Amino acid sequence: MPPRLFALCALAAAGLAAQTVDRTKAPETPAIPDYKLAPVYDTKLPNGLGVVLVEDSRFPLVTARLNFQAGSKFDPKDAPGLAEAVATLLTEGTKTRTARQLSEQTDAIGGSLAGAAGADALTVSGNALSENLARLLELVADVAINATFPQDEVDLYKQNRIQNLLAERAEPSFLAGEKFAEVVYGSSPYAHIAPTEEAIRKLDRTALNGFRDTWLAPNNASLLLIGRLPARADLMKTIAQQFGSWQQKQVPAAPKVEPPAPRRQIVLVDRPGSVQADIHVGRLAPTRVSAEFFPLMVGNNILGGGANSRMFKNIREKEGFAYDAHSEYNTQRDASTFAAVTEVRNEVVEPAMKAVLAELDQMASTQVPAAELTNIKNYMAGGYLLRLETQNGLANQLNNMNTLGLPKNYLETYTAHVRSVEPDQVLAAAKKYMAPGQAAVVVVGDASKIGDALKKFGDVTIEKAK
Amino acid sequence: MNKLLACCFLLASGLPVRSAGIAIPIESYKLKNGLRVVLSKDNAVPVVTVYMIYDVGSRAEEKGRTGFAHLFEHMMFEGSANAPKGVHFATVESNGGTLNGSTHPDFTDYFEVLPSNKLATALWLESDRMRSLSINDANLKNQKEAVKQERRLTFDNEAYNTAIVDVWPTLMFRNWQSSHSLIGSYEDLEASSVADVSKFFKTYYAPDNAALVIVGDIQIPDAKKLVETYFADIPSQPLPKHPDLAEPPGFQAIKKVQKDPLARVPGVIVGYPGPRRRSPDYYALYMVDAILTAGDSARIRQDLVKGKQSVIQYQADLGWPFAGSLDYRDPEPYAMFLLHNPNFTGDQIVEQVQEEIAKLQSAPIDAKDLERVRTQVRSLVIQGLQSSLARARALAQYELADGNPELINTELDRAMAVTPAEIQAAAKKYLTADKRVVLEIVPAPAAPSDAAGKKGDQ
Repeated sequence: MPPRLFALCALAAAGLAAQTVDRTKAPETPAIPDYKLAPVYDTKLPNGLGVVLVEDSRFPLVTARLNFQAGSKFDPKDAPGLAEAVATLLTEGTKTRTARQLSEQTDAIGGSLAGAAGADALTVSGNALSENLARLLELVADVAINATFPQDEVDLYKQNRIQNLLAERAEPSFLAGEKFAEVVYGSSPYAHIAPTEEAIRKLDRTALNGFRDTWLAPNNASLLLIGRLPARADLMKTIAQQFGSWQQKQVPAAPKVEPPAPRRQIVLVDRPGSVQADIHVGRLAPTRVSAEFFPLMVGNNILGGGANSRMFKNIREKEGFAYDAHSEYNTQRDASTFAAVTEVRNEVVEPAMKAVLAELDQMASTQVPAAELTNIKNYMAGGYLLRLETQNGLANQLNNMNTLGLPKNYLETYTAHVRSVEPDQVLAAAKKYMAPGQAAVVVVGDASKIGDALKKFGDVTIEKAK
Repeated sequence: MNKLLACCFLLASGLPVRSAGIAIPIESYKLKNGLRVVLSKDNAVPVVTVYMIYDVGSRAEEKGRTGFAHLFEHMMFEGSANAPKGVHFATVESNGGTLNGSTHPDFTDYFEVLPSNKLATALWLESDRMRSLSINDANLKNQKEAVKQERRLTFDNEAYNTAIVDVWPTLMFRNWQSSHSLIGSYEDLEASSVADVSKFFKTYYAPDNAALVIVGDIQIPDAKKLVETYFADIPSQPLPKHPDLAEPPGFQAIKKVQKDPLARVPGVIVGYPGPRRRSPDYYALYMVDAILTAGDSARIRQDLVKGKQSVIQYQADLGWPFAGSLDYRDPEPYAMFLLHNPNFTGDQIVEQVQEEIAKLQSAPIDAKDLERVRTQVRSLVIQGLQSSLARARALAQYELADGNPELINTELDRAMAVTPAEIQAAAKKYLTADKRVVLEIVPAPAAPSDAAGKKGDQ
């Protein structure tokens, strides 16, 4: 041990009398503290660009999000991965800046700048030291409005994306997530979560420009700024300077998402040599604006939302089948999926499957005990506070609200909504969405090791890993 | 839940903070039983982090007991006298919090992040397991299975990880304390007994071998009173001996090629023995790392990913893969892990990395370039202190490694003060081909499926 440099306060501390305490039970504590979101200023520029400003002066930082309704849902059928490619390549060159200049100028403001596409939205994310906010806005505007997709950068992107795709496909969890989306969403636009190698090879500047010109318009976008911000009037002036001359245009309607009706099917993606089986059991589920959202989200957390959930306690702790056992309710703007997920060793595929199905049956047939429900509500309400600690955390929440089309008061009313969920609502949602009757089963693993075990649950379609 | 490699994949994340605009308030003291306490108040969001750090990690393990520190960490979640098995998880989660523990080469940490009304609850839980952990056969058996399953999931079934955890340390280190597998072998895990667990607990999990850090929405007098109430009467133990980590003399550069049936893209690890923590060279290499790998304008990205189009992804750090610059202890390497385009050989990638380093060795860095890197580092460090958990972790590291949590407010100044000449000198002194360790990871055709299983417990 290095020598300690100080023990300044030791005496003062020793002077505090230890209180006698009953260690046999958890201490009595005060009620959960209130937290009010900082005021959100919400406006629009004349060209239709939404602007959302939130002051957070704890650190000398600013965080920006420019959100377009232009995610992978908008990929043409024969070009999966186009939105993602556009997002990534926005920061690789503009009319006045090379990729290298963009990188250097971003780093010089202590910042980052990157585009990414999810299922619904394409988001340009940036941050910087707050003293450099004006320069950050200039860069965000430049990549959003003036990206040129230089040929050499497109070529490099294609080459690297193919290699990345290979690396992703080495991960069983990726293969399982990909196949599960395909099975649940059928031929609808949410069915693909990644490009194909063929689509990447075909990608060209014409396609990139076409996507950009169709969807990246101010009236299809919203700019969010959080951090140590300058005076409102000055800031609005800077924003207008950077984004005000951006031309509004007609944006086509978003593609329709019409997934097939859920049905029981078992799909095994063969991954020879796998010592684990990655199991997804689930189906289509309602969106966040549905009245069933909060009951199903509460049910999802009871079933598999962390170390206090049934799947964790039973499948991981009690049975020891798996290191990971959880459930997921992945919501998108137009449709969602629910799945119970576990990754188990080959030898216990059959009992683990039985255990997962039994947990789903239990959720769908028996009302949740009051104490368990209260616990889960506290878990969700506390978790909400924890997510707001950082600028990125708050920015992601607000950006997500925009992506999913949630009401403006979503964050402020979240806790009240969670607390209002009744046991019969959870049961009703579970009957509809968790009962395994029409759940699809997707498994990634070594077919020669686990195929027979799976066949005990029905007909199995075996597919090769892509 | 519990992770072994918590710091593994963070890029240049360390080195909190600085004079420019940030002053983290700190109050630190020691209880009579030797427990070091660090408090930092921030009432902006009603959240509090309780962070318990013990001065023991995987490098303290004995031969025949590889993986034991991590196995023990799992045992810490198996219940204690007043919070039996399951209560710890249930209590934290049902109050809306998160928790975890992780085992590192030189320390083990446990934390709870909770709404701030639950500070006493977290202290009750942490003190109860420090005072009265439930050690028995059933719990040990259960956690042996959990750890073996974690090994299968996180290592045996994931590309690159076996090479990183089992092979890389044997090339970088010759002292067994550093070179053995930190996740451990199935045989050693199986051989661990309840007596081992009890002895380890008594030796290392005493208040005088630990520090308690509380950050967030607290009032200092109330927090002090609660700490006293819950921890003051836990008896201290004789301070344990720390392992001798000195590397034997006679280091030799080495290169090895490892086949990986799960990898689809070739990778290469390049490492060099590093300087002492907080020595002038340490700050210089910290800046070298930032020049090479931090931010989009970093040289590896601009010259290799984009220019030569040879590298696809990379990560690097002082202490990589098991530590970062913040929890770096001696001896540690500076190392870089690169996935690359299969049109290039591993040797070519190593040469290209060495060429980038040669540029830093042959001439001092341009002042404008260095200014940009400094701004980038300053911003990354400030960003890295936003959450109460991140601040608690940094304070705990500085308390444990340096005996001085105030370093959170001053370390960045040291990095900012590094000069072009110091950068050049450090690159010349440390990052040369004759001090270089290389591990190539080559994708191999999938093995016949019965060969992929690991020995021991199938």
